[in-house]
Parts: sequence; structure tokens; C-alpha cells
Amino acid sequence: MSVEAQQGIAAPRVPAGLSGLLPALILIGLFFVVPVLALLLRSVTDPAPGLQNYAALLGDGTYARVFFNTFLVAFVVTIVTVLVAFPVAWMLAIMPPALASILFGIIILSMWTNLLTRTYAWMVLLQRTGVINRALIGAGIIDQPLPLINNLTGVTIGMVYIMLPFMILPLVGTLRAIDPMTLRAAALCGASPLAAFRRILLPLSLPGIAAGGLMVFVMSLGYFVTPALLGGTSNMMLAEMIAQMIQSLLNWGLGSAAAFILLVVTMALYALQLRLVGARRAVGGA
Amino acid sequence: MKLIFAGILAGLMATAAARADEMVFTSWGGTTQEAQTKSWAEPFTASSGIKVLQDGPTDYGKLKAMIDAKNVTWDVVDVEMDFAIKAAKDGLLEPIDFAAVPKADLDPRFSNENAVGSFYYSFVLAWNKGAVSGETASWADMFDTKKFPGKRTFYKWSAPGVIEIALLADGVPADKLYPLDLDRAFKKLDTIKSDIVWWSGGAESQQLIASGEAAFGQLWNGRVFALEKDGADVGVSWNQNLTAADVLVVPKGAKNKDAAMKFLAAATSPTGQAKFAEASGYAPINTKAKAEMPADVVKGLPDAHVDGQINLDMNYWAEHRDEIATRWYAWQAK
Repeated sequence: MSVEAQQGIAAPRVPAGLSGLLPALILIGLFFVVPVLALLLRSVTDPAPGLQNYAALLGDGTYARVFFNTFLVAFVVTIVTVLVAFPVAWMLAIMPPALASILFGIIILSMWTNLLTRTYAWMVLLQRTGVINRALIGAGIIDQPLPLINNLTGVTIGMVYIMLPFMILPLVGTLRAIDPMTLRAAALCGASPLAAFRRILLPLSLPGIAAGGLMVFVMSLGYFVTPALLGGTSNMMLAEMIAQMIQSLLNWGLGSAAAFILLVVTMALYALQLRLVGARRAVGGA
Repeated sequence: MKLIFAGILAGLMATAAARADEMVFTSWGGTTQEAQTKSWAEPFTASSGIKVLQDGPTDYGKLKAMIDAKNVTWDVVDVEMDFAIKAAKDGLLEPIDFAAVPKADLDPRFSNENAVGSFYYSFVLAWNKGAVSGETASWADMFDTKKFPGKRTFYKWSAPGVIEIALLADGVPADKLYPLDLDRAFKKLDTIKSDIVWWSGGAESQQLIASGEAAFGQLWNGRVFALEKDGADVGVSWNQNLTAADVLVVPKGAKNKDAAMKFLAAATSPTGQAKFAEASGYAPINTKAKAEMPADVVKGLPDAHVDGQINLDMNYWAEHRDEIATRWYAWQAK
């Protein structure tokens, strides 16, 4: 969220006393705090009190690999999403508002389409006998089907597609708030387009990239459907492993512990990012 | 603590009230549950007046949550037999009331104190005729990537089947499969690991074979039956077909136990079993059912392929379920 956007919000109306906040607090407590505490408790009490679930998770190479895979996928997806989203967001930010709102509508529409449907569509496109491979083989470009599915490539393609709107939306907000005159000024001072991008546009859009990137990264960490369908077992992500622990092994203690570790790591990353962005913003404002 | 957590879950899942004239049946969805609804639930409702609400898919985590929370909304659940044996040991199941469910004609391989057979099936070797030149005749062929190149598809979840296939392919005689030599099985599976595409549901296995995405694979015989019926160009080998079963269980604390037992009697009756087998291609667990079925359907059942048939050992699996599963998923993730 940019500084400008924050200032644009109308002055908050503070309710008299806490009573106005009570429904919201109860809601958050009941549906967010209690379940997380229950999760934590279960992870240290099931099947017996103690930290054995955490010891099992942290001491086993398999789980370590799944954790690594989870962060690797989330990282790759975030980077690719930023790279794809930036030009789109820039185009949306500078094009006439009427046209931009139509394109916005199209992007939002994809978010409203069922996730499973979209993932299955990618399966049909990406598989060895799928549309893409058949077309490439038919055109004589390749003679063996490319491995586009059941691996990191498949997961990345499918997830970037799903994550794009979450990156584009905050980025457009940030880019629109940048005064176009700064770029013109840079050009007048003799900066090449590349230099203007690197030294003016990119630094100014960092808050939007950071906000969208964090959202995409955190959402990717917990993704289940897309990696399960487009990935292979050797890129298994944590959500799928937790599902196995809960549904197949009925080992709820271990599943809870895995979920809690993911939560803690995610929150730590969030805190780190807040610090970094806060620091950068302070420098940029000086 | 367990109770609070499970209670929240079960509370959210609660769908049906306990009423004497209705009950909830849960199965795996898709064509199987459709066939169960048509063959069992609808005639049962017509004759008894008890309404059968359908829920699904079966989810062992959900089932355990309900029982832990003492808020059980499922009355009859279709589960895999090795799970049922393990669940009975863990005290999750009601005993079957054999005063209400006639036992005499039930295949003893697939029924015990806490479960009656739902249907039984065989894992068979199926292939796409366009993608495989020649016939694949044995499980060993699935491990011969030189002679038979292409992707092969296996069942993704830890369950009886794939481990046994690997051992048979490696030359272990059928009567020496148990206790399972896991080291040997995983070593054999390692040799084709990069050529395996996993299927996690029946529809997926059909799609993989029918499209040629996988050249061949280990499929449930009912799914191959459906592919053949649809005219797909598939071949099937019953050589060393591996039987396993689904069973019907009543979760501990089910609210409509009496109705559930009556439903089980109808589902396992010769007529109920015959109708379901005809619709699904899976085999009946009532020995009298075949007399009520058309001869050409009987011919396609696992019963017609007992030569070289191997019964997967459900008791062994029930006992070692967790240990094998832990290793299975660790190996997959490697």
C-alpha cells in the first residue's frame, strides 16, 4: 500500500468506547484465534503431550525436503508473477481509464472462475498428449513431447496464472500514483528509457511489488489443488503432505505441527518484509 | 482439546438430523456412488420408507473427527477394507448386527464383525492399444522400459497393490508376498520412478489410459470395464489380478444405527449386489448374486479370472498401514 493511498483514506471514525468493536473482535477470536490455538495445542498433545511431533518433522529428511519444495515453489511463483504482472500493470496504469476498466474486468473475471476448472484446463493444455505438445510436434518444432506437467514447470505455470490478479491489482494502484512527470523529467535530464525505469519507476513501484509479492508468496505457501494436480510427487508441497497426514495416516498431531511450523515461518517472513519495506520507504522519502 | 477441535469441524460438517425415517450413506462419489444409489438406496427407500441421504466423498480424517467429537452424521460409510480392519481395532466402528444382516451367503473374505462387503474388485493391467505395440502380459512388463517405453500409471495413495506389483515383477512368487519386503519393492520401483504418472482417482486413471498420456497402468477392473463399454481402444490383462475390497461400516455413535443395519441387509442382498455389479463391473460379495445376473456380465467379473488371481492381504495391511504409508509418502516425495 503506498503512502498516497493511505493518506487518501478518509479520517477513521473512532467509535465511542470498545463496544462498537466487540462483534469484530468476537468474530476474529472465534474464527481465527481459537482455531490456531487449537491447532497449536493439538500439535503438542496428540498422541501424547510433548514435542515429539516437532522433533519428527524437523529431524526427518523427507519433511525437510517438502518444506524446501514449498518455499522453492512459492519463491519461483512469486518472481515469475512479478515479471509477468509488471508490464500488464504498467499498461493498465497508463492506458485510457475506459479501456483499462474493461481489461480490469477481464482480469477479475478470471478470478471468479472456479479454481479447479482452471487447473484442469491447464492439465489438458500441458500434458504430453495435450494441446501445446501436439501443436509443437505438429509444427515440427519438437519431436518428443516437452515435460510440462507433473513437475515444477507445470506447478509454476498453473500457479502464476492464478496469482496474477493478486499481483496486478496492488501494482496498478502504486503505478497510478506515480507522477508521470518524474519520468519525463528523467528523460529531459538525459536518462535512457532503461535508466529511467531502473532509477525512477522501479524504486517508486517497490511498495506495490512488495505488497503484491507478499500476498502471492504467502498464498502460494498454502496452495493445495494446483500443485497436487499439476505437480509431481517429487515436488510435493506442504499442504498436500498435511492432507496425507490428516486423511490417510489420521495423524492429526503431526499434521497440526506441520501446519503450525508453516504459520510461524510465514509470519516471520511477513515481519521481515514489513521491516524491509518500511526501511526502504523511509530512505526513498528522504 | 481434541474434542473442541474435532467438535468445531464436526459441527461445521453436520448435515443431517437424527430421525428415525432417514439415514446418511457416504461413499466415493462418481459412477460408483451413482450405482450404489440406484442399486441399493432407491429400492431400499421404496420398500422400507427410510430416506437415504447421500454424502461424500469418503474422508477418513472427517470420519475420525466426527467420532472423536461424538457428533457422527454418517450412518453407513463405504471404506477400503484395510482401513476398516484398522479402524475397528482403534474402536471407531460399531459391530454389525448380524441378526438384522443375513450373513450366510456373504463371501467370508470380505466380511467380519465390524464390516460387511460392499463390492470387491481386482487391480488389472490395462493399456492403450494405440500407445503400446504388442501385448503387455504381466506386471513385469510395466518395469521393462526398454521393451515398453512410455509413461506408466499407478495408484497414488498408500494402499494394497503397488508394493505387491513391484514384488511380483521382481520375481517374488505369489504365495511368498507376505510379509512384504519393502526394501526390495522400493528398489524395484526406483527403476521406473521417473516414468510413473500417479493417478489419485478412478476418473483420472481412465483419462490417462484413454488419452494415451500413460501407455499402460494398474487400474481398477470396473474402470477398465467402463472404458471398454465406452468404446475406448484399451487392452486388459487379468494375469495375476489382485483382489481388494471396499466394505460398508457403521461409525461408532452413528445416530441411525437401526436404519443403517437394515440398509446393510438390502445392500448385501443377492439382488442389491447383482444390480450393483451389473452397473459397475465390480464383483458381488454375496455368493448368490451371480444367479441373478446376465451371463455376459458374469464373464467380465474378477470371479471369472480366479486363475492366477491373488488376494491382497487386508489383515497384513491393516496391521502395517501406518508404517508402510509413512515410508510410501517419503519415497514418493524423494
